[in-house]
Amino acid sequence: MIKIQNLCKSFTNSTDTFHALKNINLSVQKNEVVVIYGESGSGKSTLLSIIAAIMKPSSGAVLVDEENIVSFSDIHASNYRKNRVGFITQSFHLMDELTLHDNLLAPLVIQNLTKIQIEESIENALTLANILHKKEQRVKTFSGGERQRSIIARAIVNNPDIIICDEPTANLDLANSLKFIEMLKRLKEEGKSIIISSHDELFKSQNFIDRILHIKDGSLG
Amino acid sequence: MLNKLNFLLILLVTQRKKHFAIFVLSTLLIALLSSVIFLSSSIKKDVYTTLEHQADFTLQRYIAGRVLNTPEAWIDEFMQLEGVENASGRIYGMHYYEPAEQYFMIVGLDFYDTQVIQGMKKLVNGIDIDEFLKRKNMIIGSDVKKFFDEYHYFDYYIFRPPDRSIEKLFIYDKFQTQSDIVSSDMIIMDMANARRILGVQEGYVSDIVLETPNKEELETIQLKLKVSHFDMRIIQKSDIKKYYENLYNYKGGVFLALYSIVLITFGLILFQRYSMISSVDAKEVAILRLSGWKIKEVLCFKLMENFIVILSAYFSGIFIAYFYVYFLDAPLLKSIFLGYSNLANSTTFSPSFSLSDLVLIFLIFVLPFLLAILIPLWKVSIQEPTEVIR
Repeated sequence: MIKIQNLCKSFTNSTDTFHALKNINLSVQKNEVVVIYGESGSGKSTLLSIIAAIMKPSSGAVLVDEENIVSFSDIHASNYRKNRVGFITQSFHLMDELTLHDNLLAPLVIQNLTKIQIEESIENALTLANILHKKEQRVKTFSGGERQRSIIARAIVNNPDIIICDEPTANLDLANSLKFIEMLKRLKEEGKSIIISSHDELFKSQNFIDRILHIKDGSLG
Repeated sequence: MLNKLNFLLILLVTQRKKHFAIFVLSTLLIALLSSVIFLSSSIKKDVYTTLEHQADFTLQRYIAGRVLNTPEAWIDEFMQLEGVENASGRIYGMHYYEPAEQYFMIVGLDFYDTQVIQGMKKLVNGIDIDEFLKRKNMIIGSDVKKFFDEYHYFDYYIFRPPDRSIEKLFIYDKFQTQSDIVSSDMIIMDMANARRILGVQEGYVSDIVLETPNKEELETIQLKLKVSHFDMRIIQKSDIKKYYENLYNYKGGVFLALYSIVLITFGLILFQRYSMISSVDAKEVAILRLSGWKIKEVLCFKLMENFIVILSAYFSGIFIAYFYVYFLDAPLLKSIFLGYSNLANSTTFSPSFSLSDLVLIFLIFVLPFLLAILIPLWKVSIQEPTEVIR
């Protein structure tokens, strides 16, 4: 489903060139869960950003169902994110002044959906993320765990087939991390492909994880 | 589209404090700008309307840098000039009204001269001339009336001519308010009375006015006048118009310059605010981009959001300015525009509302405002969303 070929990413400033990713090759199948371990600055987030078509690589290709998303214009990349990708960030970024329901509207209002379809999608996502009871509350009053579940609900509300999680448990306590892992299991059961970057040891003991990879200094081991 | 509008409405209501602050500030700035433009337009309109009936030429005897009374005999000379239709003498001058320390303009008219009356038609319209001339009467401007009333000169006023005699004139009527800018400090009376009060000798007039039927010949006639009388100042109607135009354009220009400084400061504050990527708005843009919004969609959405706020401010500002200028008579601004020297301050402004004024206000304020918001937003939009919210 996702095929990454010879992917490189460098950042250049006036004096130095930093090679964040060095010749990455990776395949992720449909319904597969892959965890990428690595320390801070190893290139995990950069790799996920490229897979989500948020960032362009310096060279290489990312084929999603045989289409190279690297060559996408902003319009195509946005459509790809809108229809196929759910992105879960480590910082729980939500529009704080809005209710949870209204936060989930953001990915849906750009789709050609009726009001009823929108409400159904929100209801389903909130049920799956186990936060339906907070639907009409403002997210600024939420705890860390609730915010993370809200982020998950927003990431899956448009029913994407690729879920990308960038250090999802970095700001959660153990209890909330376990709840999050339960949710990932459910998403796998729904047939999603999931790519997680983390340095949380908790993932290593989970049997629903199909593959664990390690990234160091921009190279995948 | 409806879903987007619904989302837009939610954002507007949720962030109402921020939007309200921008709305209030913008409304004030637009109201100030609009007031200046309305005031300037209204004054020009009033002045032009009044000047429309003025003679084509005003001729004054001018020696050694001083204006002297003009010999009445010159009128016949000018009538001989080809292209001149009518020539008549005017008697006018300033009267110092000591109780209020104000100067009034006394204008003497020959009420049986149809050309003169035509020129002053706007001021003396509807006056029964026979009735007016039955005794020593005068028609006064609104400010003159105000100052007369203040010192209980309700029915008449006693002038002291230079020959130390006494001239008692009755107040016959007050001018119409539409012509206030030119007439508020004016007193109109019969020529003979004016001559006595101002001390203008028989055989002389204050100046001479000429009418020419063919406006194409104005320059030729001016040349002939110059050649025939070198000791004479020739003022064309267009010169007077230009004088007023320059005066109010200058005052309006000074205001617009000051306003520009305020606007630039406002723009800088906005720019700075949006340049600070840590703001709520930058995060909002990043979240929308992560959710699959295209750059164009984000910009259109934010443009619409701000356009609603600024358009509301635009119409509110214009409404406030209209009310301030045309209903309240622009307190404070009026003093700056009209000054105290010749033109008194109880003037009321006649509404002048043109599409070009509205477009000008839109271009001066709304456009820079939207650009000041859109450019930084665009900068945020093209960044990687994860970088913006990190």
